Amino acid sequence: MMKTFSIGGIHPSDKKISKDCKIEVLPVPSKVFISVAQHLGAPATPVVKAGDQVKVGQVIAEPAGFISAYVHSSVSGTVKSVGPRKDIAGNNVVHIEIDVEGDEWVEGVDLSDTLVTEIPQDNKAILDKIKMCGVVGLGGATFPAHVKLCPPPGKKADCLILNGAECEPYLTSDYRIMLERSKEIVIGAAIMKQVLGGCPAVIGIEENKPEAIKAMKAALAELQAAAKGYEGISVMSLKKKYPQGGEKQLIDAVMKRQVKSMGLPIDVGAVVQNVATSLAVYEAVQKNKPLITNTLTVTGDCLPLEKQHNYLFRIGMPLSYIAEYAGGVPEEAAKIISGGPMMGKAIANLDATTVKGSSSLLYLTAEQTVRGVESACIRCGKCAEACPMGLEPFLLQKYARNSMMDELEENAIQDCIECGCCLYSCPANIPLLDIIRIAKGDVIKIIRGRAIKN
Amino acid sequence: MDKLIVSPSPHLHTKTSTKSLMRDVVIALIPAVVVSVLFYGWSELLVLGVSVASCLLLEYLITKYLLKTSCTLGDWSAVITGVLLALNLPATTPWWVVFIGAVVAIGIAKMTFGGLGQNLFNPALVGRVFLLISFPTYMTDWAKPQGFITNSIVDAYSGATPLGIAKGLGPQGVEAMDYLNMLFLNIGGSAGELSAIALLLGFAYLLIRKVIKPYITLSIIGTVAVFSGIFYLANPAEYTDPLFNILSGGLLLGAIFMATDYVTSPMSKWGGVVFGVGIGVITMLIRYFGAYPEGVSFAILIMNSVVPLLNKWFHTKKYGR
Repeated sequence: MMKTFSIGGIHPSDKKISKDCKIEVLPVPSKVFISVAQHLGAPATPVVKAGDQVKVGQVIAEPAGFISAYVHSSVSGTVKSVGPRKDIAGNNVVHIEIDVEGDEWVEGVDLSDTLVTEIPQDNKAILDKIKMCGVVGLGGATFPAHVKLCPPPGKKADCLILNGAECEPYLTSDYRIMLERSKEIVIGAAIMKQVLGGCPAVIGIEENKPEAIKAMKAALAELQAAAKGYEGISVMSLKKKYPQGGEKQLIDAVMKRQVKSMGLPIDVGAVVQNVATSLAVYEAVQKNKPLITNTLTVTGDCLPLEKQHNYLFRIGMPLSYIAEYAGGVPEEAAKIISGGPMMGKAIANLDATTVKGSSSLLYLTAEQTVRGVESACIRCGKCAEACPMGLEPFLLQKYARNSMMDELEENAIQDCIECGCCLYSCPANIPLLDIIRIAKGDVIKIIRGRAIKN
Repeated sequence: MDKLIVSPSPHLHTKTSTKSLMRDVVIALIPAVVVSVLFYGWSELLVLGVSVASCLLLEYLITKYLLKTSCTLGDWSAVITGVLLALNLPATTPWWVVFIGAVVAIGIAKMTFGGLGQNLFNPALVGRVFLLISFPTYMTDWAKPQGFITNSIVDAYSGATPLGIAKGLGPQGVEAMDYLNMLFLNIGGSAGELSAIALLLGFAYLLIRKVIKPYITLSIIGTVAVFSGIFYLANPAEYTDPLFNILSGGLLLGAIFMATDYVTSPMSKWGGVVFGVGIGVITMLIRYFGAYPEGVSFAILIMNSVVPLLNKWFHTKKYGR
């Protein structure tokens, strides 16, 4: 029996149209806008002002708290302005506008293709590099990576899980880096495993990506034969089921352990990092390269195959620039998603720029994405069957519509991971997650408020 | 492009809709409908036609003139009620009795509660039980009308249902019956009770299309088998055997199509299992010790009333709790 998580889950379409498109490097535009809020936690504080000269890889904003991250310039040139600009949702966020001049990197960055397989021994120095290079989780939440790699006192990591599930339909950026940068990912895993005290590391990949499984296994075998520090790493194929790549689901699938409500993965000895994060860790530690690039998929059913792409982009590139470069926004596109179709965000503003965690420009047609008219709940229970957290969305939405906060908390609304399985499955088109998401925020506020009072 | 849709995730939706689920149930009923029409002929067609047409008409009139809401005929649920009501009646039922059944099913059992999704009791069963109590003569008249094809077994036994015979004469009365024949063609009874194979075909379709989960149906059948098994082993002269009890009467029709109704069955798996066990036990208590030869309808309706409690007691297993 192939492993997977034990509760709920759904099987949305298995489409990965752009899977055979090699990663192409996007040319640098004449101007970039770099956001200071590219990570979970406090937005970084800008340390440059209009008129300053910057180089590629230079720090332009510093962390403003424990959970925060460094932001580096992705281009060389002159800072034009520092001020508010709209992000993909249309909210104002401080961006640093830079006019591009040449492509001059800061000193110390290794830009060669040489693979550095020898892992440094000083864990403190490694963590410092990860932090200084602004590495954040690239699986969606953009949580600062160094924080996750420093378990709090008394907690110990039993397993490092590398998330290569890429369970969202359409997305292929993780798949491509697993094929094209396999060794770098394995080295990143070995580095993180060493920092965590040498626990085993498992690279989890869904069975619908056999080429990726093969490539990662081959890279691992080669490194294990050639260098030290690669023992205890393995590749595990997982059954295809959404949301396999959810942190809690992946821990359940790989370790058969479940994180308690409101708990953290480290409570059950797990640390989960995305394969793209592992690549960023490799580049930071072995190449001194800060996190200023990532891979992004341009895809959608309404795009012909030759217009499907996987791009290596630099942070701060306007999405409209990428869309134009890729051949323009297709006529039939009714909605553009940043991220996957299940959990990604609809883009309200295509002039917004790429951030560290950008993973796609996904074009959906009206036929695909416009929701049907809501009708009466027929109590089929398909939402509860689908919920990977074992919640009962039909019940939660009823309590939420009546503002029954105690009942919502008793029925664990705070555990919702917003994967969208309930809304996807509902035959009556009830906006389950829309309602639950809002109520969940309120309940968590109540729980936090109570914790502060006590 | 100038007008991009911006809405919260998820951005995709399953193709399964209320309409497609309900239509699948109707498709699953086709084998049973075909068998009943073949053997009961024009009179069965009349019962089916009047039942479905009345259910549709009544739901339309009630939504339009009483509730003043949008028309709900498109969801196919009224068609299911119509077909199930017809399959629960003898083929000889007069058209006006069928119509009264539809009034009770749609008017009282379904729309009074607020329509699809709100009703506590299975509408078709409320209609049937109302008729059974109000018009006992019509409802127990198993005289066999002229069918499109004839079958010597059916003709030989017309006039009584196997359960009716067993009630009157005890197990000896049904000793001569061939279970293989019963599997394919029951002998006398409501239209929907005729062929176990036709009903099982529908069950397989519902499972393959993932319309229902098997646990309610299986727990009913399992309970009936265990319950009657114990009594049969203790005293074969007094009690009918398990296989007879599973193949006869409305057990399969009820267990596959009526007890699994989304609206009136529990939401959770274990709630469903308890629901099924309850239906099985009550059915057998009525069959062995009650005044009626058949008890499936009563059993399901009684357990329907327990569903809110079962929903309160049984919940899904939550992650990490």
